[in-house]
Amino acid sequence: MLALIYFIILGGIAVGSALCVLLSRHPLYGAISLVVTMVSLAGIYGLLGSPFIGVVQIMVYAGAIIMLLTFVIMVLNGARDSRTPMFDRVSLFVFPAILILAALLAFALLSSGISFDPSAAKVSVELTSKNLFNVNSDGPGYYLLFEGIGLLLLSAMVAAVLMAKKNLSSKNLENNEEEI
Amino acid sequence: MIEIIQSKHWIEWLINIAKFAFAFVPVLFILLLIPLERRGAGFIQDRQGPNRSYFRLPYFGKIRLFGWVHNASDGLKLFFKENYAPHGVNKLLFLLAPAIPFAVVLIAPAVIPWFAPMVFTFGEEVIRISGQNVNTDVGLLLLFAISALSAYGAVLAGWASKSKYSLLGGLRTTAMIISYEVCLGISIMGILLLAGSFRLDQIIAWQDAHVWGVVAQPVAFFCFLIAMIAETGRAPFDVAEGEPELVAGFHTEYGAMQFGLFYMGEYSHIGINSILVSILFFGGYSIPFVSTSTIQSNVGISLGVLAFVFVFAILAFLHLLYRYSRYLKKSSYANKSAILREYSLYKIVGWAAAALLLAAGVISIMYFKPAYTLIDGQAVYGIGVALGTAFIQILVLLAKAVFFCWVWIWIRWTLPRFRYDHVMNLGWKVILNVAIVNLVITAFIVKLIGD
Repeated sequence: MLALIYFIILGGIAVGSALCVLLSRHPLYGAISLVVTMVSLAGIYGLLGSPFIGVVQIMVYAGAIIMLLTFVIMVLNGARDSRTPMFDRVSLFVFPAILILAALLAFALLSSGISFDPSAAKVSVELTSKNLFNVNSDGPGYYLLFEGIGLLLLSAMVAAVLMAKKNLSSKNLENNEEEI
Repeated sequence: MIEIIQSKHWIEWLINIAKFAFAFVPVLFILLLIPLERRGAGFIQDRQGPNRSYFRLPYFGKIRLFGWVHNASDGLKLFFKENYAPHGVNKLLFLLAPAIPFAVVLIAPAVIPWFAPMVFTFGEEVIRISGQNVNTDVGLLLLFAISALSAYGAVLAGWASKSKYSLLGGLRTTAMIISYEVCLGISIMGILLLAGSFRLDQIIAWQDAHVWGVVAQPVAFFCFLIAMIAETGRAPFDVAEGEPELVAGFHTEYGAMQFGLFYMGEYSHIGINSILVSILFFGGYSIPFVSTSTIQSNVGISLGVLAFVFVFAILAFLHLLYRYSRYLKKSSYANKSAILREYSLYKIVGWAAAALLLAAGVISIMYFKPAYTLIDGQAVYGIGVALGTAFIQILVLLAKAVFFCWVWIWIRWTLPRFRYDHVMNLGWKVILNVAIVNLVITAFIVKLIGD
């Protein structure tokens, strides 16, 4: 009962602030609303018995990624955008699509008859790590995905550094030419 | 609802609710830290520091409490000043921003264990109470996640002020937080690997059973300390509010208690961080070579020893007072009689407190003999022993934390400030790499030795 009340409150905040992200005209307000969404989603994860995912959600999304996002918005001096219309012809396709998707999801969830007992789903950090890094041949093999994602992120980072480096070196060349 | 209330004994509810008071400990650190900072700066720079305000008592005259009254009146002044917002600011965010860092310091200490888990018998029942408010597996991560949010206060303040200095300050704060959060996270991974848990009480238990974290992970300790100081944004890493460059950084446009909230947020953050350093690397509430069960079985003697430590500190303080009084008597200061009269009050209070504590210590040693019952082969004591042990452990933790608060102040007033690019170089090119190498070596050793 208590869990349901918490869930309704958190879900309301999450959906409301997610709507704010879409409807706000200023990018910074959008970013702040996104932070609120992330934090309330973290609360829902905690409620579902996986505090680890919730905390990582706050740390990674709210603490790092959206922080970077606000950094970029502030560097680019983002301002209120009142030229782009809120709705245009594309919305005619988007809204029905969203509604149909939501209806399909609701139908699927309701018909599958999921019963959720939060007290049964308490997942400790130890269990999470043991599942994730189970290197036995008959295990779930999540660690392979984990390593693969690590490699992917590393290559993305190297690519980003390379791209930034290229710009830097060309700028240096220009400077040198000016000095000469 | 009824089941929830009935799931715990009433004494368990009472202690659990009383534990919420610990949320305010980092905020109360401000009362100690601000006089310590300002008088400490004076001490390091060979001047008096702020100690001019006083209140008057009938016989003793002006009572200044070593500058505490001065700082308290400064705080009071901030409270009663008019809240002022410059023209053109974004009103909503301008008002909201100072609340964020302050709200964060009230939530973040929820996972800090203030004493070892209590087990005691109350009537027929055995009652277990954990040392932290939120007893969760993710412990330390929760603390870091919530403290990371405090940077939004600076960012929003910088943006909402609509001032170039503020905006630059906010930008720099973001950059600092992002770079040093990484170092912070990686530098503690070594100790987490050793302890095998995110729970702060288990980290302390590991240190209690083996060695202090500073001995096991000296490199990580220094990385962590530097990253911590950088994260609070104080000098020598005060690029976010560098006075020579940005007036006051993100809080340039703030005054009165709105500025006060930023200030309190920063100081409480220092409080939390010093508690965290003492927990992760200096054994937290544990006393070296004395385990919790030893304290419990000799609780009378332990409390007596604690009282004697206090008596010793008071005697040292009195010695200081007497020496300075002698010096004053010989000097030719115009106000020396007033100061001597003020000191006579401290001397009376000091001797009275010393005598009382001495008596309390002796009584505690002689008459506090705990009775216990054996449960699962372990001695379990009554509620008095549990509370006494918790009291000792809280004081031990706070003593370590206060020492680190002093380290913070010491560093701030000793080292020259870094330039912005130096700070970034230090963060990304030195500390991060050292921390990663330390983590890899630790992981190898842990794997080789085995669990």
